Amino acid sequence: MNVQEYISSGIVESYVLGIASREDSAEFERMCAAHSEVRAARNAFELDLEETLLKQRLEPPRELKSRIFSKIGMEKNEQTPHVRPAKPTLVPRIGFARYVAAASLILLAGSVLLNLYLLNQYKKSIAQYKELVATETNVAAANQVLQTKLESYEIVLGVMKNPLMAIIKMPGVPTGPAPSGMATVYWNTSSKDVYILVNQLPKPVSDKQYQLWAIVDGKPVDAGIFDVGEGVSFVKLKTIPKAQAFAVTLEKKGGSTTPTMEAMYVMGKVTG
Amino acid sequence: MPLLMRRLSGSPVRTIYLTKTSLGSTGPYSEQELITALKSRDDQAFSYLYDHYSGSLYSIILQIVKRPETASDVLQEVFVNIWRKIESYDPIKGRLFTWMLNISRNASIDMLRSKNYQNSLKNQEITDTVYGSDQVTQTSIDSIGLSKFLAKLRPEQRVLIDLAYFKGYTHDEIAQIEDIPLGTVKTRIRNALLQLREDLK
Repeated sequence: MNVQEYISSGIVESYVLGIASREDSAEFERMCAAHSEVRAARNAFELDLEETLLKQRLEPPRELKSRIFSKIGMEKNEQTPHVRPAKPTLVPRIGFARYVAAASLILLAGSVLLNLYLLNQYKKSIAQYKELVATETNVAAANQVLQTKLESYEIVLGVMKNPLMAIIKMPGVPTGPAPSGMATVYWNTSSKDVYILVNQLPKPVSDKQYQLWAIVDGKPVDAGIFDVGEGVSFVKLKTIPKAQAFAVTLEKKGGSTTPTMEAMYVMGKVTG
Repeated sequence: MPLLMRRLSGSPVRTIYLTKTSLGSTGPYSEQELITALKSRDDQAFSYLYDHYSGSLYSIILQIVKRPETASDVLQEVFVNIWRKIESYDPIKGRLFTWMLNISRNASIDMLRSKNYQNSLKNQEITDTVYGSDQVTQTSIDSIGLSKFLAKLRPEQRVLIDLAYFKGYTHDEIAQIEDIPLGTVKTRIRNALLQLREDLK
């Protein structure tokens, strides 16, 4: 078979269309390399085929192009690190794959260590954070206590500063249960409000309460009950329009209608 | 095998349009410039490649897999593969379009033979039986590209080209399927190809 017969045997078309057998294709490639006529015949058929097929086309779905581009864009990003060869001449003895394997093992080990370190740091930070939160809560609570105390002191101070206040000191009754006791009545001469400041009185048992009495024309009038707790006891009691003296007795919880005279702790006369 | 041979169609095909292309022209790029740009992973060149060739390749793919959704999937795979394998394209062995055409045909035939496609084909048969197959689509596929050429062949040649080109069988396999001697297969295919050669000129 001469070259011309070979060209007309249908091999050109079956090679280009991809239906030639493996052996026939290999032979055709050899023939192409050897004979420019075969190459020319192939090229002519390719051009005709291409021209025909380019004329008759079906439009693929519009969104397909962007789908394809986003896909190859992703692969491009993945491949970027591999594009630059890592100076293979510097490690001529070790195969590149081994070098890469060793490097990745080192990186892996490094990564594990780093992760352990970071995990540890993270745990520490969490503990510190919890501690801080607890401290903050305590500080806030303490601050709240101080705030409350301060407010009560301001009220006390406000009352004591008032120039209209009459101050009646009530020392301990020498024959009573607490001779060294002391309490002070602050009595607003205008509004007639009565406040009591406990300077020193023993804390009563739980079923008892102190009661203030105003002595009006020789008769005791109930001026209110009060507790003695921690810190300063300064309590507003009842309004007393008129009194010559004040006294404190210890009564049953809730107070009594008449004072228990033998349980009188402190007493003071109104001066002026 | 009869299952494979059966002509099937999917949902309607989009409009067919013609574009004027001068002989072997690749627009703003010469073939060599386009190949160089593609090998340097130039996005613009790839975009041009898609715009210029996707319609023809989609058409060939559709002629093989018959169904537009499947053809879209194959076309996507084809272009991703072109992008991946452009390094291995060797101009000595043929033109860029020939190379892409063969990638498209091979991917389509792989799709034909995949389990998924075979299963969906069975479902499609049931749908066709119930609703009747879409003859209009089939006609529009037949009227384009190589299918158009196929329609001009004598029936005994047409069957063999369909099996060889659109179904991807070897000459030996075709001889078995059609139960005719291998020599007859070769002769008929050869004659059909030579007729194609004349038709394309």
